[in-house]
Amino acid sequence: MRLRASVCLLHGFAAMFLATVALAAEPDLAPGIPNIWGVWLGTNGADVDARYRSTPWPAPDFTEWGAAQSKLLMTPETPDECSPYGPVVYMGGGGFFPLEIARTWKGIVLLSEPASNPRRIFTDGRKHPEDLDPTWGGHSIGRWEGDTLVVDTIGANGRGRPLNGYLSGAVSSRVDTTPRLLVSDQLHLVERIRLVGGGQFLEDELTITDPKTYKHPFTVKHYWQRRPDLELLEYFCSDNRRPDAEGHTESAQ
Amino acid sequence: MNISRQLVLLCVSVLVASAAWAHHSFAMFDLEKMVTVEGTVKEFQWTNPHCWLQVMVPDGKGGTQEWSFEMGAMGMLARTGWKSTTLKPNDKVTVIMNPLKSGAPSGRLLKVTLPDGRVMGPGGNAPPPPPAG
Repeated sequence: MRLRASVCLLHGFAAMFLATVALAAEPDLAPGIPNIWGVWLGTNGADVDARYRSTPWPAPDFTEWGAAQSKLLMTPETPDECSPYGPVVYMGGGGFFPLEIARTWKGIVLLSEPASNPRRIFTDGRKHPEDLDPTWGGHSIGRWEGDTLVVDTIGANGRGRPLNGYLSGAVSSRVDTTPRLLVSDQLHLVERIRLVGGGQFLEDELTITDPKTYKHPFTVKHYWQRRPDLELLEYFCSDNRRPDAEGHTESAQ
Repeated sequence: MNISRQLVLLCVSVLVASAAWAHHSFAMFDLEKMVTVEGTVKEFQWTNPHCWLQVMVPDGKGGTQEWSFEMGAMGMLARTGWKSTTLKPNDKVTVIMNPLKSGAPSGRLLKVTLPDGRVMGPGGNAPPPPPAG
């Protein structure tokens, strides 16, 4: 009887130890971490304080390769419209679809309603793998610098939608002649994410370095408004691909 | 001809700017025309990447012709007041749309008048948050 009690006590101590280790390995649960969690909606198109409106994409400073690729994206030979998102487009700040930020065992997951792929930001102290295989979303690691989450992303396959191609149409358009801002597999994205406006807005300062596509790095700021009243809905893009067959995309004409 | 092209309006740039869709460009639509079509709902497709409204429209020859109207994504509709049941087969509707340039019986839905008189849009930005408090 005494032996059984001792074993139970040992099991209890072991469970407490493992729970302590788990919390230690979960930095986003640490006290003082800003409350970035929940549902957000991009302020693009919304009537909000001018301080929280996204900065526009700069005029492109393309390399020769980047210019050619941008031009290609404005012809009917465009990528599949239902392609997953790359890491930059994920943070585009549009007002059509909400974004949800959630904690996980190894860091942070961002869910964007129309994106088939969750975006993971590891905050468990790991580094980028040396033998990183390319993925649509790339490999993101984050660390807290005071109240700012600094996220470093590499390893994107460069096949996602162009940065400004989402709202303006990922396919060819004779209406919108804005050059498509793509990124390549050489993208190095650094983001500084923090709460602003008393915690009601989220700021993401994105610095895009992509020497294959752009001659110089550039920085934009995108904003979201906290929207606990919204929920992310299901979005299965290939559910009803009628436009391709019925002339509702220019490429089909 | 009951396909009543009553309204052929130029200069719809405001609509173009406000009704930006999520998935593809507008190049296939004649954005300088707004056409009104009246008919009976055959099917309301509550789907992504776009919702679609299928309407049987009198062809002026004693028969009907099926028209297809493209709308926004499901979430864009849901957050602007739509439900999957907002329209049902046999509902009488009036649709204002930008027709396809190709002349096919199809277009980009701008507004639809429901049987109860409500006028709904094609989905768009989520509405502002509710007032605090």
